[in-house]
Amino acid sequence: MNIRCAKPEDLMTMQHCNLLCLPENYQMKYYFYHGLTWPQLSYVAEDDKGGIVGYVLAKMEEPEPNEESRHGHITSLAVKRSYRRLGLAQKLMNQASQAMVECFNAQYVSLHVRKSNRAALNLYTNSLKFKIIEVEPKYYADGEDAYAMRRDLSEFAEDDDDKPNTKDGANDETTGVDKTHLKAIGSGGHNHHGGHDGHCG
Amino acid sequence: MPSSDPLPPKEGALFRKLLKCYELKQYKNGLKLAKQILSNPKYMEHGETLAMKGLTLNGLGRREEAYKYVRLGLRNDLRSHVCWHVYGLLQRSDKKYDEAIKCYRNALKWEKDNLQILKDLSLLQIQMRDLEGYKETRHHLFTLRPSQHASWIGFAMSYHLLRDYEMANNILETFSQSQTSIEAHDYRHSELLLYQNQILIESSRLEQALDHLIKYNAQIVDKLAVRETMGDLYIKLRQHDLAVPIFESLIRRNPENVLYYEQYLSARQVSESSAVVAVYREFQEKYPRALCPRRLPLNVASGSEFRTVADEYLRRGLRKGIPPLFVNVRTLHQESEKATVIEKLTLDYFENLTRSGHFSREDADAGAAVEPASALVWTALFLAQHYDYMRDTDRALDYINVAIDHTPTLIELLITKGRIFKHAGDAVEAYVWLEEAQSMDTADRYINSKCAKYMLRANLVQEAEEICAKFTREGVSAMDNLNEMQCMWFQTECALAYQRMGRWGESLKKCHEVERHFAEIVEDQFDFHTYCMRKMTLRAYVGLLRLEDVLRQHPFYFKASKCAIEVYLHLYDKPLKSEAAIEEIGIENLPPSELKKLRSKQRKAKKKAELESAQAAQAQVKREQHQKSKQQASQETDPDAPQLDELVAEKLERTDEPLERAIDFLKPLQQLAKERIETHLLAFEVYYRKNKPLLMLQSIQRARAVNSAHPEVHSCIIRFMKSLSSALKQQRFNENVQQVLDKATKELIGSKTLQQLNDEFIAKHNASILHLYEGARSLYELDPSKKDTAIKLVTNFNPNKLRLEEAIKVYTALRDGDVFGECEEEAAAYQQACQQRFQYARIFRNIEELEAQLQEKEAAKLRAEEEQLQLNHVDSSEAISVSATAVTAS
Repeated sequence: MNIRCAKPEDLMTMQHCNLLCLPENYQMKYYFYHGLTWPQLSYVAEDDKGGIVGYVLAKMEEPEPNEESRHGHITSLAVKRSYRRLGLAQKLMNQASQAMVECFNAQYVSLHVRKSNRAALNLYTNSLKFKIIEVEPKYYADGEDAYAMRRDLSEFAEDDDDKPNTKDGANDETTGVDKTHLKAIGSGGHNHHGGHDGHCG
Repeated sequence: MPSSDPLPPKEGALFRKLLKCYELKQYKNGLKLAKQILSNPKYMEHGETLAMKGLTLNGLGRREEAYKYVRLGLRNDLRSHVCWHVYGLLQRSDKKYDEAIKCYRNALKWEKDNLQILKDLSLLQIQMRDLEGYKETRHHLFTLRPSQHASWIGFAMSYHLLRDYEMANNILETFSQSQTSIEAHDYRHSELLLYQNQILIESSRLEQALDHLIKYNAQIVDKLAVRETMGDLYIKLRQHDLAVPIFESLIRRNPENVLYYEQYLSARQVSESSAVVAVYREFQEKYPRALCPRRLPLNVASGSEFRTVADEYLRRGLRKGIPPLFVNVRTLHQESEKATVIEKLTLDYFENLTRSGHFSREDADAGAAVEPASALVWTALFLAQHYDYMRDTDRALDYINVAIDHTPTLIELLITKGRIFKHAGDAVEAYVWLEEAQSMDTADRYINSKCAKYMLRANLVQEAEEICAKFTREGVSAMDNLNEMQCMWFQTECALAYQRMGRWGESLKKCHEVERHFAEIVEDQFDFHTYCMRKMTLRAYVGLLRLEDVLRQHPFYFKASKCAIEVYLHLYDKPLKSEAAIEEIGIENLPPSELKKLRSKQRKAKKKAELESAQAAQAQVKREQHQKSKQQASQETDPDAPQLDELVAEKLERTDEPLERAIDFLKPLQQLAKERIETHLLAFEVYYRKNKPLLMLQSIQRARAVNSAHPEVHSCIIRFMKSLSSALKQQRFNENVQQVLDKATKELIGSKTLQQLNDEFIAKHNASILHLYEGARSLYELDPSKKDTAIKLVTNFNPNKLRLEEAIKVYTALRDGDVFGECEEEAAAYQQACQQRFQYARIFRNIEELEAQLQEKEAAKLRAEEEQLQLNHVDSSEAISVSATAVTAS
């Protein structure tokens, strides 16, 4: 296994991995948008032959009305079923989070998860210390509710140089989890092509 | 900017409003304004207004009218830069970039310093990779607006792309000198510094790059990039001591990065395998949760040390029950010694776990605690995967069955069983197991996708689509949705399934859909040319440009293209007859009873076809409606997307120019997939049919450059020489061509005759079936009377030394009769022989047996459904009685 920051040439394989694993899909341009706006934030996990078996696609969001600084957001996170139970999702998330803090001063990272996705919920709450902020009714295209979740990133703000890495947590035995889905900007769950044009034209 | 045909103040104001409306995408208002101007008889032929009216119409998707008005406007005012600019914009929105560039250049003739036109021109130039032109335009923009940041960046970048690193660096250096106030945490500034550093590294000025990085370290926020680059530079500059702590800290930050360990080792100058293993052991202690320090020693260790580390690694994985344990060591199997050790270890585990619950007899004797019961299942799974990898189907099935008996609910086991059947050549049994696995976790799209893929391998396209539909958007067909989402694996597998079924048009349609995704992805970069300049993410942007340059190198493109080329070649060899002609073939020879049967069959088929076409028409209407609503929805945001012709299977398969269409797919491969021999073999097939000796020769030479020992190269040479000699009988080549051909002939075959060459080839390669196949094929090609000898050459080959794919290749050639002529008997005999050798492979089993099996399966399925129905009935009647009770109780 090899975990590293995603490069532009990884984006197509990330899309492929997304289409295999998750119901929420995006066109290539949306991956380019991520990779070219926040090149530090997305990570991939590779197998021995360099095939991509998991990824996290992440971005920054503007501050909420009552906030001062920006925060990170996980657009999509997936690990192929055949590579689960190695703790890859958690490791990918931690690398992305560290970069959010360093490069963009993120205070916290947010995400959405399907209410029914118990495995992912378990990963986020138990292993990654996310907290449920609210329920977003009918967030997904098929009408399912989402939990909006957040993780405070202040632990990443300290320079990691002198301390042993403890973030890949005590609980790495999460079971078969690594999957979430996140809605992109724009309409729910599909055809996000138009969604980001406003940011990128 | 003075217009060549100025309007008076009132109309001038309206015109400015019209421009504004276009910018704001208020197209309808824009049209009204244009009408106001044009309704004045004095200005009804005003060129710029007419042109703008056209552009506005284009915004509303009225393309034809748009062209009409823009051209009319331009004709009325050929000296207007506005008209030329507008014409350029229109062509650009139609993706006719070369034409658009010409228009912009004309516009600049009349208004050479127009910023907007220059900017638009520079975008097209970079999109089309006219790097010299881009540089000139960026230079022009720079001189016009030296105070703007973007002018400097674009100017520098244009040199960087031309590999003039010195100039690029100088521009950026001057620019950053002029930057006075830098914020504490300035991402854009930080990105710019790293971009400059990249330029220094690409120009091999490593020391300068290192100094630059050290100097600006504090201003760069991307700490990871700084450390990675600095560490790498220290190693390259042989300052190893300074690199060590950097890689230590990088490993601490991310202990799952293989490169960090490699660089750490090279910084510490450790290379002897035991010493490397010892280093990894230190890291295991330090980062007990990390995977890399445990897995990587397996790559370097050998002999007894390998046995030790593999033993530790495997036990740990089996104890914890990690499903990917096998896939993570699969690459080690390329070394047969390691594969043997792994096999031996896991066989021992299996034996001991069965006997005492321990991994080894030593553990049992020492009274160690027994392993978890699941360890046996995971070991059996591992062995099944191992033997599957070795293509020992029987043993693989033995172990997977043990595992499934033990834990029937573990989905991974069913997937593995399906995969074993797939590798053994039984796509149907394979998909049945995947379907079972899928039914056990319907919320997981990964297993759903795998199931669909296996169905496609069994040519069950409709079933695959239905399975996929569980995860695609409601209200749209799964096919359409998957196409919209650019789901290339699915489309490529569909294309291959249709190809196997001989549904050529459908297959081509899927291949073209994939091709269109690639075209779209190339288009996608357009918006990023300005965007990245603004965001200053220049390293990523250059990465994008370099990626797009070689985009069609991607395996997805190769796979779809290969399929398309093969189908077009087939359509050239065996063009489809018109439908009426097929029906009437051979009717006159039929006995009356058969004719009656045929007629009734035809009637049924006709009815079915009518029904289908009615359904298809309905679907078409729906698609159009969907398309329309989509267009309406996207009208405001993206009026630019040109309408592509709909891909129609029936039209694609009846093309008049199959070879030309094949070449469309071939060209990118020749450019970007040169290292793959299939590219050149496919090219040969195309040019052989086009009768182009020089291009045939070129393909052969390129194929030889990749791998001169490849068996197919031989028969290409034979066919090439043969076609050359028959061509020479008809006409003389011009002198230069003849010279090239003579020289090549000498190189390829020397002074031998083709027969000699082929005989020697056969004698030399009698241990390789694929070589023998090509030799036999050539033998028959050169002398059809040697048919029997040729066939015996391949059928007499020891079946125990055959691999499944090889046997399939030989068998299909015999069965289809297009390589050795008709040879039904030999094909049947060969089929039987292969069935003995590959008992699971469907292709060698006879039809009756398969049909009986299929019927039995169908019947079993029906029985199961009936039982389920009865059960449901019982359930629901119970439920009713329960609720009835509940009602009475309340």
